[in-house]
Amino acid sequence: MASARKSRGESLLLRYLVLGTWALVCLLPILWFLSIGFRPRTEVITPQPIFWPTFSLDAWHLLMSDWPIAMYLRNSVIAVAGSVVIDLILAIPAAYALARYDFKGREDIGFYILSTRMMAPAIVAVPIFFLFKTLGLLDSVWALMLIYAAINLSLVTWIIRSYMLDIPKELEDAARTDGASDLRILWEIIIPACLPGIITAAVIAAIFAINEFLFTLLIASTANAYTMSVALANFTGGSDGIIYNAIALVSFIAFVPILILVILIQKHLSRGLTMGAVKG
Amino acid sequence: MASIHLQNIVKRYGGFVGVQNMSLEIADEEFLVLLGPSGCGKTTTMRMIAGLEVPTDGKIMIGGEVMNDVDARDRDVAMVFQGYALYPNMSIYENIRFPLRMRGVPASEHDARIRQAAEMVELGAYLDRKPAALSGGQRQRAALARAVVRQPQVFLMDEPLSNLDAKLRQSMRVQIKHMQRQLKVTTVYVTHDQIEAMTLADRIVIMNKGAIQQVGTPDEIYSDPANTFVAGFIGSPPMNLIEGTAQGGRFNAPGVSAPCPSNVQGKVTLGIRPEDCRIGGDNVQGLVYGVEPTGDTTYLTVLAGTKKIEVKAARDYRSDIDVSIGITFDPARLYFFGQDGERIRGVA
Amino acid sequence: MPTDAPSVLAKGVAQAAPIRPTQPRRRRSPALRKAFPYLLVAPAVAYLLVITLYPGLFAIYQSLFVVKFLTWTWAGADNYTTILQDREFWAALGNTAIIGGISLCLQTAIALTLAYFAYRDPLIRGWRIVYLMPMLFMPSAVAFIWKLAFNDGRVISDLLGRLGLIEGNVDWLGSIWLSRMTLIVADVWQWTPFLFIIFVAALQGQDQEIEEAARLDGASWPKIFWNISLPMMRPVIVVAVTLRGIDITTMFTNVFVMTQGTPGGATETMSYFIYRQGFRMFNFGYASAASVLMLILTIIIAQTVVKRAFHSGKS
Repeated sequence: MASARKSRGESLLLRYLVLGTWALVCLLPILWFLSIGFRPRTEVITPQPIFWPTFSLDAWHLLMSDWPIAMYLRNSVIAVAGSVVIDLILAIPAAYALARYDFKGREDIGFYILSTRMMAPAIVAVPIFFLFKTLGLLDSVWALMLIYAAINLSLVTWIIRSYMLDIPKELEDAARTDGASDLRILWEIIIPACLPGIITAAVIAAIFAINEFLFTLLIASTANAYTMSVALANFTGGSDGIIYNAIALVSFIAFVPILILVILIQKHLSRGLTMGAVKG
Repeated sequence: MASIHLQNIVKRYGGFVGVQNMSLEIADEEFLVLLGPSGCGKTTTMRMIAGLEVPTDGKIMIGGEVMNDVDARDRDVAMVFQGYALYPNMSIYENIRFPLRMRGVPASEHDARIRQAAEMVELGAYLDRKPAALSGGQRQRAALARAVVRQPQVFLMDEPLSNLDAKLRQSMRVQIKHMQRQLKVTTVYVTHDQIEAMTLADRIVIMNKGAIQQVGTPDEIYSDPANTFVAGFIGSPPMNLIEGTAQGGRFNAPGVSAPCPSNVQGKVTLGIRPEDCRIGGDNVQGLVYGVEPTGDTTYLTVLAGTKKIEVKAARDYRSDIDVSIGITFDPARLYFFGQDGERIRGVA
Repeated sequence: MPTDAPSVLAKGVAQAAPIRPTQPRRRRSPALRKAFPYLLVAPAVAYLLVITLYPGLFAIYQSLFVVKFLTWTWAGADNYTTILQDREFWAALGNTAIIGGISLCLQTAIALTLAYFAYRDPLIRGWRIVYLMPMLFMPSAVAFIWKLAFNDGRVISDLLGRLGLIEGNVDWLGSIWLSRMTLIVADVWQWTPFLFIIFVAALQGQDQEIEEAARLDGASWPKIFWNISLPMMRPVIVVAVTLRGIDITTMFTNVFVMTQGTPGGATETMSYFIYRQGFRMFNFGYASAASVLMLILTIIIAQTVVKRAFHSGKS
């Protein structure tokens, strides 16, 4: 008994050593980067790093005066929110069909939708660039919205499908004998019953949309359509070099809402990230 | 309300036959129970009546009208499910109201109807709750109220009690029967539980492997089984079925000997219910295999040859195992079945 | 539960007038019944076809031309013959495999280790939030964090120097492996949580009774993990690692921000190669040829690895 207890104590020490180390690995760069956001530029890039910071709101003033950060934020919100709405409108009926109807080609259609997620953005970058150029949609938030929607459609469909599969079939049968039509069943029974899945899908799609970089870079080539993500890349602005303190500040402005969203759906996160394949 | 006619119904799933060539007449106001082991096609049959499945072949009529391609929502049948199937996002009130809304009942009538239905199942105090906040029995009663509220032509009940514990099952059984008599609605009830079938049914339909084995009142099913399947399925413990040979008015099997009608010849199966056996005598010569007192009665298992025979004994009967014992059969209660399993009726 | 056992039934509904359908019964045509699910999936599929099939066909078409600004000159298979002899193309393919492969292995190992220690820990909720944080930064922000830490701010050199491990500044972009390592560090830091979250969920979802039975049989936790938990979560690992692996092969942002392919193309990934050919050198035909080749590779991987992973991932 004594030896068992001893080994248990040792493994506990090892456990907290390992877990604590990785916690530091996660947090230290973040805290350090946060401190960058509140330092003068001269302190950020120096021959020798300065570890005791001087507090400064330089970056904040720069953002407020020189960079239309409010517009970037607005662009991000419109493009991301719009794309999520498009995704839900398209994905919910598709997920319902994939989860609930037995039809020829169901497996193939489902896998095709899934496989679009595998496509590297770079593969379609050139054609999409030309497509939007022809349509006159370059430099527009609408183009970003359509792109984000396309990128996330497979994910949203599969997550919602997974949650719909969990709804007992009896519920639909009951609604049908109660006199409801297929679309009414979808609207009044299925959608409310899989609301957690829909919210999870929406949040994860929003995060991926916020994170999207390559298309945003290609399509939003003028400041009018910049989103937070591309705006960041453009703080590498010309003769001034990379304005790190402004970048840090913008990163945290985007980080906070994402953190809140993720905490809201924490329980469903693993299921969402695996497109429903793993039930958490 | 309505009678139901099934004419040569067939349901195939690819190569698998779910229901084969089934014909059945269900009278108006009748309480009919479909009974059978799982996978026997009873639920499929009910779902075809509901319109949730389309028969591959044959005709379904409700109230004299052919229903084959009428949507489930227009068949005017109400269904109660094993898992209750209450809409989790709606309160009990909204659950009961749902069929009224879907059927375009004027909104002014809703409240009165919902409250009447809820009173009927004694759920009046729970109307504001969500299904998750109710116990199993309350949920099933809410499901009943939802079926009752719109006064359908037909009630369909798919194992409504099998998720409840034994005590609750008994009280719900009485309630369902009372309600059916009161409302006089044609009811089809699916179960694998023979007690439910015996207690509820006007008539029982016993199914196996997609085919009807016997249709009859509970009495007929119990005391006049059509074949070995029905005989072995009904009764608890079920009828003893002993394989042996009959010759010249005598049935013989290892350790068993009994009289039989003269038209019973060759390889046959003898059937005798445990309660029609008495201890003593010489129809069976065997050893005591086990004794199971249950309180109000004692079950005795006798080993005759390699065959175990169940006997219902007096409540105070006790014995050690491996003791020699003789059993007498009630000669009026012997059943004989041919090699195909069908009953051989004695010549009077 | 006394409320579950009603004794007497109230009368009432029996008198209510039965409701009969007001409109004639709808008879649904079998054709519509069959078409209905297709109608439901059609919009989503159409949308995806526009965004994948159209670009695919466009890329195939464009890859047959030399595109200089607005003039397209027919080139037949020239782009492909050139590209298959282009050392930069093969290097990009190799880099993607090397950087992605190392990164994926590290992430999987770290995530499994952390999950093993964390999933039975009472503080699991706290660990999860902390470990999750790097993943919640925009990838471009993460790239900048590490660009500053490695290169521009020299923080890592300085820290390593203070520990006495190195002297002076390291030129991280000067060496092939150091440059690749910075990309790997950034990717591991940001995406290990992805695997961690999934692994922990899988471990927590496992049947506790099996672990308890093994514990009663005298097995130690490492043994239980290795012999019981790990085999049981294999399908989950396969799905998670496959998804992560796919994302890694498309690595672009970190390269774009941190290394731009230096030194000498040693950190140029496939995505960056296509980007550079198309949008830096304006060889659109050539970039399209590269896209088509990468697309073919993607389809092969999707049809083999991913299809299997998702089938085994479902119970």
